[in-house]
Amino acid sequence: MRIENHPIIDSYQKGKKVKFTYDGKEMEGYEGEPIAAALRAEGVMTHRYTKKLHQPRGIFCAIGRCTDCVMVVDGKPNTRTCVTMLKEGMVVETQYGVEARRTEA
Amino acid sequence: MRRYHLVVIGAGPAGLSAAIEAAKHGMKVGVFDENARPGGQLFKQIHKFFGSKEHKAKIRGFNIGNELLKEAEQLGVDVHLNSVVMGIYDPLHITVAEDDHITSYAGDNILVATGASENMIPFEGWTLPGVIGAGAAQTLMNLHGVKPGDNILMVGSGNVGLVVSFQLLQAGCHVKAIIDAAPRVGGYGVHAAKVARTGVPFYLSHTIVKAEGNEKVERVTIGQVDSHWQVIPGTEKEFDVDTICLAVGLSPMSQLTRIAGCKMVDRGGLVPETDEYGQTSVDGIFAAGDVAGIEEASSAMIGGRIAALAAAKRSGFVTEDEFETEYQNQHASLMKLRKGMFSHENKGRTDLVKTDEGYPLSMSLLKNGYIAEDEIGEYPGVGRTKKVGVHPVIECTQNIPCNPCQDACKFGCIEVGETITSLPVVKEGSKCVNCGMCVASCSGQAIFLVDEEAEEGFATITLPYEFLPLPEKGDKGTALDRSGKAICDAEVTQVRTSGAFDHTALLTMKVPAEMANRARFFQKREGVR
Repeated sequence: MRIENHPIIDSYQKGKKVKFTYDGKEMEGYEGEPIAAALRAEGVMTHRYTKKLHQPRGIFCAIGRCTDCVMVVDGKPNTRTCVTMLKEGMVVETQYGVEARRTEA
Repeated sequence: MRRYHLVVIGAGPAGLSAAIEAAKHGMKVGVFDENARPGGQLFKQIHKFFGSKEHKAKIRGFNIGNELLKEAEQLGVDVHLNSVVMGIYDPLHITVAEDDHITSYAGDNILVATGASENMIPFEGWTLPGVIGAGAAQTLMNLHGVKPGDNILMVGSGNVGLVVSFQLLQAGCHVKAIIDAAPRVGGYGVHAAKVARTGVPFYLSHTIVKAEGNEKVERVTIGQVDSHWQVIPGTEKEFDVDTICLAVGLSPMSQLTRIAGCKMVDRGGLVPETDEYGQTSVDGIFAAGDVAGIEEASSAMIGGRIAALAAAKRSGFVTEDEFETEYQNQHASLMKLRKGMFSHENKGRTDLVKTDEGYPLSMSLLKNGYIAEDEIGEYPGVGRTKKVGVHPVIECTQNIPCNPCQDACKFGCIEVGETITSLPVVKEGSKCVNCGMCVASCSGQAIFLVDEEAEEGFATITLPYEFLPLPEKGDKGTALDRSGKAICDAEVTQVRTSGAFDHTALLTMKVPAEMANRARFFQKREGVR
């Protein structure tokens, strides 16, 4: 899902390649890009499930307004992944309600 | 507490332009933006801008952003990033959340240039991952180099929907269709035409019925609406898509002006009431750009400069006379943009049938996204008399504010005149040297160089081409007409690139002579897209 060559954009402003984990799985992205961009590039669509109805949610606005893309990042829930920049070794987890694990109702 | 002569909230086109103008007049300026990078939405705009030279026409949005940033830096403007302005408090103070602490700043003047956020429409399945804002698609692909999806449905045919659709094609995505509940294409005809000729179908008077899929978007159903916006049973169509982009309008992010106690008015969203200088009802608080009323980046940049001049006058950095002269210049520049078919006064009108010059508007362009073959002969850029040799064919048929084609031709073939919303005229008897500058400079990609009699039985057509992989000389393929329909075989005879063309390649293809006025796009045999 990465754009390798673009007719207009010569290069993207990107940091070095870094590793992070998504629900325990090792993934790669670029330092300084939003976590959400790195996840989309790896094909991850669901960022969280809603608390009551357990419905999936993903990127919607990508500019930090709608909060649909929040996840648990380094243990911190409700982190807006579209405006939080990726760092080496980040632990990114699907958010269930406001937690990293699904608790049975 | 830090104090600035001018505090600017928002580092987009309006905010940065204001900061530059104020700093030029000796004001100490601090710009605050919640994002990690400045520029607002400018760095996501990879198309060439409209307007004229003074509005930075034919320069791509992100390059304008870079110019503004450099200028602001050279003038010593303080740009505070990752800084969320939480409120404006009496008299002229702001509180800012930076990292994990809160700081207070004072401004002799405050300019709110916070822009707008995207609207959305609810439908069955609208919360599924894969339903995104058109701006989100731009952010992912143009800033971060990530495709938002592979197969896309665009909802909304305004300029945002049209421009983003073209950018999705450039990023290598498939746009399955553009739909709009309105009966007419909302954005510039030229933006629609450049998408339509690649084969993207338009469905006007259509809305989304539902999005479906397991955990994410896999399918979408659209349907035609009647005059009461209700779906007509039996008109439903299904598309396999993984992404639905919503480009259904913008709303001003005017919360800060409300907090500050500015008088608000409803103008397609709540905006602070301002005078012609951007001054709100609270003395010293100004508003410019989309937050003061949704428009576009070119006019936002001028609005920012005008508000900065007014702030400079208020604080004694310019005299009354200096202000008046500079304001009149900026105002004149703004008025050039605010003319024509898409101006405020004509917004939302569906009764327009003629251009300002009296040419009939293409109804097919408004309904299907492309000009019908029986409509194209009418326009002054197309020309009615028989031409010999290569000549420009300008398929610019609506009064939009734009004139780079006139400046591009050094041989005087093209005339727009003083009013930049006028249709370009290809002058009779003028000499075209086939340089291609007009083709590359047209922000709407509406100019073609046509030679009806390039060789026995064949015509050549030179068209703007902004996709990868770039075809090469000798490539064989198919010519598409304005609607994107394959009409004949075509062979690439020349591909020109140049720094002066700024990433717009000029592709020349050879087609049977009778296709000269129909063939408008080239598709390589294996399929370009």
